[in-house]
Amino acid sequence: MQIYLPIAEVSINIFLLFFMGGGVGFLCGMFGVGGGFLMTPLLIFIGIPPAVSVATVANQITAASVSGAIAHARRGGIDYKMGIVLILGGAVGSYFGSMIFTILKATGQVDLMISLAYVIFLGSIGGMMFVESVRSILRNRRGEKVKVGRRQRTWVDALPFKMRFRASKMYVSAVLPLSIGGLVGVLAAIMGVGGGFIMVPAMIYLLNMPINVVIGTSLFQITFVTASVTYLHSVHTQTVDIMLALILLVSSVIGAQFGAKVGQKLKGEQLRILLALMVLAVCAKMGFDLAVEPDELYSVVSVGGIH
Amino acid sequence: MVTDLSDHTIEITSRFSGTELLIFGAIERGIPQDDGGHGVVVEGMDYDIIVVVQSERHDMIIRRKEPLGPIWVNKENKILKNMPGFYALTSTRPIDLILSDKKLNKMDIGLQQLKIEFDYSISEEEKENFRDGFIRNMKARKLYNQHEGMVSILDGILFRAILEFPANMPVGNYDVDVYLIRNGKIILTAQSPLEVDKAGLERLIYVFAHNYSKLYGILAIVIALFAGWLAGFLSKKVNG
Repeated sequence: MQIYLPIAEVSINIFLLFFMGGGVGFLCGMFGVGGGFLMTPLLIFIGIPPAVSVATVANQITAASVSGAIAHARRGGIDYKMGIVLILGGAVGSYFGSMIFTILKATGQVDLMISLAYVIFLGSIGGMMFVESVRSILRNRRGEKVKVGRRQRTWVDALPFKMRFRASKMYVSAVLPLSIGGLVGVLAAIMGVGGGFIMVPAMIYLLNMPINVVIGTSLFQITFVTASVTYLHSVHTQTVDIMLALILLVSSVIGAQFGAKVGQKLKGEQLRILLALMVLAVCAKMGFDLAVEPDELYSVVSVGGIH
Repeated sequence: MVTDLSDHTIEITSRFSGTELLIFGAIERGIPQDDGGHGVVVEGMDYDIIVVVQSERHDMIIRRKEPLGPIWVNKENKILKNMPGFYALTSTRPIDLILSDKKLNKMDIGLQQLKIEFDYSISEEEKENFRDGFIRNMKARKLYNQHEGMVSILDGILFRAILEFPANMPVGNYDVDVYLIRNGKIILTAQSPLEVDKAGLERLIYVFAHNYSKLYGILAIVIALFAGWLAGFLSKKVNG
C-alpha cells in the first residue's frame, strides 16, 4: 500500500516504512542507542530527499528521547544544571547547523554535506568502536583485567569559567560542556542524529561525569536540541514531514520493545562489535555512493512557485 | 471539435500513487472529408490528433556532478527559465509524420521542440549537454513523456487518449491542448484546463508547513513530545 508523504513529496510503500522503523527501533532497543545515524541514511537510501530525512528524523528523535528522559528523571538520573549548559551549547550549535544547512540547500550542496558528515563521523566512531570491542574481547580471552585508576589532571581542568554541578559532584569549566553541546547541536541539525554517540563518550571520558547521570542527562539534552532542530528546519527549509515522523515513531517504539529483550541475552562486547560493523556498513555505502560515478550526472530542481 | 477530460481536477491525497486521465472528444462531421489529398491513409483515419498536457511554467535549476578528488560533487549549474514541471504528449501517429519540423517548431509541439532558454550564454555544445541532461532527468522521473500513437479515433469522429500521471506530479494549473490536424495543417485546437492540487490531510499539512512554518514547527515538537510520552507510558503498561 502506497502512502503519499506531503512534505517529502514522494509516494512510498507504508509497509516498507514500518518495516524500516521497526528494524531500526529493534536495533535501538538492542544496543541502547538513539538510531538517528541508521534511520537517516536508510530513508535516503529508499528515496526520501536527504534534507527531509535529516529534519524528519530529528523530529522523530525528539519523541524517542523524551520517554527515556522522563524515565531517567523519575529515578533522579538527570543533572539538570549540566543538562541546561549542554542545551545552551546545543541551541547555538543547532542554530549554526541549520544556517549552514539552509545555505547549502540553496546552493545544491546539502546532499553532499550530509553524506560527507556521515562518512566522516560514522567511519571514525565505527572504527573506534570496532577496535575497542575487539581489544576488550581479546583482553577477556587472556583473562586480563582493565585497570581502573584515579583520573589524571588534564587540560580539561585548566579551562576557565568553572561551575559546580551538584548532581554530578563535579567542579568543572563550563566551556567544555558548552562546546560538546554545541558540536552535538550542529550534528543534529546537519545529520539528523541525536548525537548521543558523541555526547555520551565525551561526558564519560572528557568530563568524567558519573555513569548514573550520563544517559539521562544526554537524553534530556537531546530532547531539547532535536526539538530546536525541528523548529529551525520547519521555519527555514520546511523539510519536517510530520506524517513520516509519526510512522517512524510508532514503528520504532514497537521495534524497540523486542530489541531490548534480545539485547539482554547478548554480551556487551558482541553487541558493540555488531553495532560497530553496522555503523561501518552504512558509512561504506555512503562513501561508495559518493565515489562511484553516478548513472545520471544531471539533477533538476524547481525553484519558482509552490511545488 | 469538442473535447473533454474525465476529470478537471486531480487531487493528491495520502493514497495517491499516480493516476490516469482520459481525454476524449468528437470531431464534427461538418468538415469535408472527401478531398483525398493528404497522401497517407491509415485505415480510414482521416485526421490526426495531437494531445499535449503541460503544467505551469517555473524556473528550474539543473546541476551537473563532476569529479572532485575521489568523489562526485555538484559543480556546474544553470537556471532554466520558464520550464513546464510536467509535459506529456500523445498522438495518433509519430508526430513527425503528422506535421513538418518547421510547424512543430513554430507551434512548440513535442519534447524535441521544447525551447530551453539558458540564463546566460554558454557554448552550443554545453547547451546541448544541459538540454539532454534536463530532458533525460525529467523523463526518468516520469514528468516528461512522449508516447506517440496512443490516441485512437473511432468511426472517424470520436477520439480518446489515456495519459498517465506519476505520483510526483507538480501541483498547479495545467493546460490540455488538443490539435486536430489534416494534410500537415492544424485545423482546430481546443484547450481545456486541468487543476492538480494536494487534497485532504496532505494539503492541510503542506499548506500549514509552508504558510505557518513557525506554528508547524511548534506543532511538530508538541506532537513528538506527546507521542514519546505516550509511547513510554504504554510500554511501561505492557511490560508491567
